[in-house]
Amino acid sequence: MAVNNSPAWKALQFHATDLERQHLKDLFLNNPERFDQFSFSAAHCLLDLSKQRMSAQTLDLLINLSDQQGLRQKIQAMFDGEIVNPSEDRPALHTALRQPAGETLNVGDQDINAEVHRSLAEMEKLVQQIHNQQWRGFDGSPIKSVVNIGVGGSDLGPLMTCRALGQFAPEHIRSLDIHFVSSMDGSQLARLLNKLNPASTLFIVSSKSFTTIDTLANANTALEWLIHASDVPQEIITQHHFIGVTASPAKAVEWGIPEQNQLRFWDWTGGRYSMWSVIGMAIALQIGYDNFRRFLNGAWEMDRHFLAAEARSNLPVLLALTEIWNINFLNIHAHAILPYDGRLEYLPAYLEQLEMESNGKSVNLDGEYVAHSTCPILWGEVGPNAQHAFYQLLHQGTEAVMCDFIAPALRYEDQSEELQKQHQLALANCLAQSRLLALGDSVLDDAGDAPAHKRYRGNQPSTTIMLDRLTPESFGALIALYEHKVYVQSVIWEINPFDQWGVELGKKVATSLMSSFDNEIPEDTDSSTEGLIRYVQQQRRESKQ
Amino acid sequence: MNVKVYGADLSAWVAAACLARSGNQVIIEGPDDQRDKPLEEISAIRDEPGLLDQIADQIAKGQLLRSNHNDPHSHADIHWLALQPNEQSKAESLVQKLAREIPQNLLIINQCNFGVGYTDQLQSTLDLEKDQAVVYIPDNLQEGKALQGFSQPKRIILGTESQWALTMTRSLIRPYLQNIEHLQVMTAREAEFTKFAVTGMLAIRLGYINELANLADEMNVDIDVIRDGMGADPRIGRHYLSPGCGFGGQNFSNYIARFSDLFETQRKNSLLKTVISENEIQKELLFRKLWKHYQCNLNGKTVTLWGASFKPGTASIDNAPSLKLIEALLAQNVTVKVHDPEALENIREYFGDISLLQLCHDPYSAATHSDALMLVTEWPEYWSPDYNKLASLMNTPLILDGRNIFDREALELYGFTCKGIGR
Repeated sequence: MAVNNSPAWKALQFHATDLERQHLKDLFLNNPERFDQFSFSAAHCLLDLSKQRMSAQTLDLLINLSDQQGLRQKIQAMFDGEIVNPSEDRPALHTALRQPAGETLNVGDQDINAEVHRSLAEMEKLVQQIHNQQWRGFDGSPIKSVVNIGVGGSDLGPLMTCRALGQFAPEHIRSLDIHFVSSMDGSQLARLLNKLNPASTLFIVSSKSFTTIDTLANANTALEWLIHASDVPQEIITQHHFIGVTASPAKAVEWGIPEQNQLRFWDWTGGRYSMWSVIGMAIALQIGYDNFRRFLNGAWEMDRHFLAAEARSNLPVLLALTEIWNINFLNIHAHAILPYDGRLEYLPAYLEQLEMESNGKSVNLDGEYVAHSTCPILWGEVGPNAQHAFYQLLHQGTEAVMCDFIAPALRYEDQSEELQKQHQLALANCLAQSRLLALGDSVLDDAGDAPAHKRYRGNQPSTTIMLDRLTPESFGALIALYEHKVYVQSVIWEINPFDQWGVELGKKVATSLMSSFDNEIPEDTDSSTEGLIRYVQQQRRESKQ
Repeated sequence: MNVKVYGADLSAWVAAACLARSGNQVIIEGPDDQRDKPLEEISAIRDEPGLLDQIADQIAKGQLLRSNHNDPHSHADIHWLALQPNEQSKAESLVQKLAREIPQNLLIINQCNFGVGYTDQLQSTLDLEKDQAVVYIPDNLQEGKALQGFSQPKRIILGTESQWALTMTRSLIRPYLQNIEHLQVMTAREAEFTKFAVTGMLAIRLGYINELANLADEMNVDIDVIRDGMGADPRIGRHYLSPGCGFGGQNFSNYIARFSDLFETQRKNSLLKTVISENEIQKELLFRKLWKHYQCNLNGKTVTLWGASFKPGTASIDNAPSLKLIEALLAQNVTVKVHDPEALENIREYFGDISLLQLCHDPYSAATHSDALMLVTEWPEYWSPDYNKLASLMNTPLILDGRNIFDREALELYGFTCKGIGR
C-alpha cells in the first residue's frame, strides 16, 4: 500500500482539517507552554518547532506515521551500510566518514572505518605539507593560493564550510588563500587567474567520477595557464600543481594526475554528502586539520543522537516530520532558509542541493509514480538581507511558505561591544520576523484599524534552529541534522534520496548539441532550439566580418 | 664606578664585560634560572667570539659579579638596562623599584629596543629635579664584532635632556672614545628614532641589492659589474651592497621588525614589511635554484651546506637562512650534510636528531657524495677550497654560491656548474 493510502496518513489528513482552521496566534494563546512543549535540544542545537501549526496530537500522529514506515529500522540500515540506494546498488555511508578512528564498521569484507581513516590520514599529510609551506610549485616557491575546482557536492559543501568557519583558522595558516571555481563557462576561473601567481598556486580537482565536464573544462584551462606561465613540461606541472580528489583513480591518472597526488573516496559517498571525506580538503586547508576533525566530531554527535534518541526527542526526525506535515497535510510547497549570521551565507545554496537533489523525486522505491508531494521548492538568503528582498511575499503574498530561521545565540564574545550589538540586532530581527510571520499584526493592539494593504495576516509556520555558538562542532551537527532530516523524509515518502537520475539526460543532450554551433543542425531539433542555435551562428558570422 | 647591568642576552653581557674591563665594579642581574648556569652553556656568550674569555677573566678578577633579583640590593651608581624587546613591563617595574630605593641621583641607561618614546615614558615615572634620569644610548651591536663595537665605537649618540645625566654618562663612556668620529647629544626620542632609521636604511639597502640581483639573474647581466658601477657613485657608496641569500641575526631582525610595526601602525606603510617578507623569500633562493636545476625532484638527493651561522664570525643561527634551507630540503626527503666552523652545536639543538641531517666537522666530508654544495655563510675557510678534491668527492659538481665568493669562470674550469646570486 502506498503511504498516502495508509491509515497513519489518513489519520493525519483528517486531523489536518481541524488544524487548518486554527491560527498560530490562537495556538499560542491557548497554550502558554508551547515553547517548552515544542522545543528540543541535542548536539549544540536548539530546535524550536513551537511556531509550527501543530498540536500535541499532530506530533503523536506524525510519530505513528514514522513507526508505520519502519523508520527506526531504516535509520539503522543506513548506518549499517545496507543498500539504501537501490537504483545504484549502493549503501550511503556518509555517517562512516565522521566516525572516530577505532570504531568498527564492516560492510561485506571491507573495514570501512580503517579505510576512511587511511584516506583522511593521507589528506592530513598533504594539508600539513602545504601549511608548513613545504609544498613547492614549479619554481620552488611554497604554495600560497589553493583553488578548489569542483561543482555540486565537490563545491557547495566545502565552500559553505570554509566561509562559515574561516575565523577558526590558526594564525600561521591564514596567509593561505582558498578559492572556489565551479562554473563551466570559466567566468570564475578567468577572473581568478588574472590575480594569481602561477608558481605558488595549487589546484584541487574534485570530481567523484573525474568525468564531470564542468570540472575538467576548468582544470584544462588551469593546466594550460600553468604550462604557458612556466615553460615546464606538463608532467611536472600536474605533479606539483594539481591534487585530484576522486573515487575514480584511473580516470584521474588518465587526465594526468599521478597516483601520489590523489586522494580517494568511494562510490558509497554521495556527492552532496561528501564534504566529510577528502572532498573536504579545502576545508582542512582553510581552518586547519584539527578544526576539520572537530567539524566531523560535531556531525558525529548528531549521528549518535539520530541513531539513539527516540522519535519524540530526535531532532532530525522531528524536523522531518514537521515538514512532512506542512508539505503533505497543510499543502505548503515553498521552503525558505534564513540564516541570521553572515557566515552562513552559503547555507541556502548548499541546502538547495542537499534537499532538492535528494528528494526532488516522483517515483517511489517500487518504481511507481507517487501520488503525494515530495520535496518543496527551497531557496534562501542571509535573513537580514532577505528582509529587503522577498520577505514582502512572506508577509503579504498569496503563497504559504515555511521558513527555517537559523542563528547562533552567542557571537563576537571576545570582540568589540559594537560588534556584539550588531549580533544582538540580527537576533532581534530574527525573532521579530518569525514572531510576526506566526502571529501577524495581532502583536499590535490596534492592528484592526489599519487599511488592508498594511495588515499582516500571519499564520506562516517557521522553525528556529539556534546554536549555542557557531563552532566547528555545532556547524557539523547542524549540517548532519539537515542530512538526516532529508533521509527521514525519503523514508516517509518511500523514495530514494541518494540517486539523481534527473541530472543525467541534460548532459547527454548538451553533448549532442555541442557540435551543432559549427556544423549542421540535426533535423529532429525542435524549432526553438534550432532558432536559438541559428541566432548564435549568425552572431558569430557577424563578429567575424 | 659601580654599575649594575640588567639583561640576559648578548647586549647585556657585552656591556657587562666591557664596563668591567674598564675598571668599573659591575654586577649583572639576569633571570633567576641563569645565575648559576655555566657561562659556556649560555648561547649568547658562547656564540660571540672572545666574549666567554673576557667574562670569565673579569669574574676571576672580581670586577664582574653575577646576581639575580633575589639578591639583596647592592649599591650602584649607574643602572644599565639591556633587556629583551618583550620585557617592557619588567623594565617599568624595575625603574619604579629603583625610584623608590634611590630618591636622589639615580642614573639609568636604557639600551633596550622598546620603541620610540619609551625612554620618555620611563623618565615620566621619575623626578628629574632630584636627578633621577634615564639616558638612551643606542647599541652599536654587531654580532661577531660585539666587543669591538662597544669598546671602540666610531659613533655614539646620547639621548637625554638632563645635564647631570649627561655629565655622569660622559664619564662612564670616556674610556671608549679614542676612535670616536661622531658624538651627538639629542633627545632620547630622537636617539631612539635614529637607531631605527639607521637599521631600517641598512635593511632597505640589503633588500634592494638582493632584488637587483634577482632581476639581474632574469635579465642575464652580472650584478657584480652593476654594483661596482653603483658603488662608484659617492651618493651611494659601497657598503651594504653585497647581494646574498638573505640576512639574519637576532638584534638586527628585532629592530627591523619593531620599526616595521611602527611604520605600519603610524603610517599604514608596508615598506619595511615588504623588505622583511622579501628577505624571508630570499633565504630560500638557493633551494629554488636547486629545485629548478633538478627539474622539481629532489627526492633522495644529498645536499651540502657550507656555513650555517647567520654571518661569519658568530655561532649564532638566529633567523639564519640555513634554517629555512635545511627545513625545505628535509621536507623534500633530501639528505643534508652541514659544515660550519662554529654553529654545528646550535644546529643540533635547533633540529634535534634527524636521520636525514648530518653535521660534519670537516667541509670535505660534508661534500662527499653530494649532489650540490650550497655556500650559505662566507666563513674565510671556504673562500679558496681544494677544487680538484671537492669535484672528485661530489656526486654532481654543482655549486650554489649564496654569497658570491667564488669565481665562476675558474670553477667551470674545474668542471663545476656554478650558480651565484645575480650572476
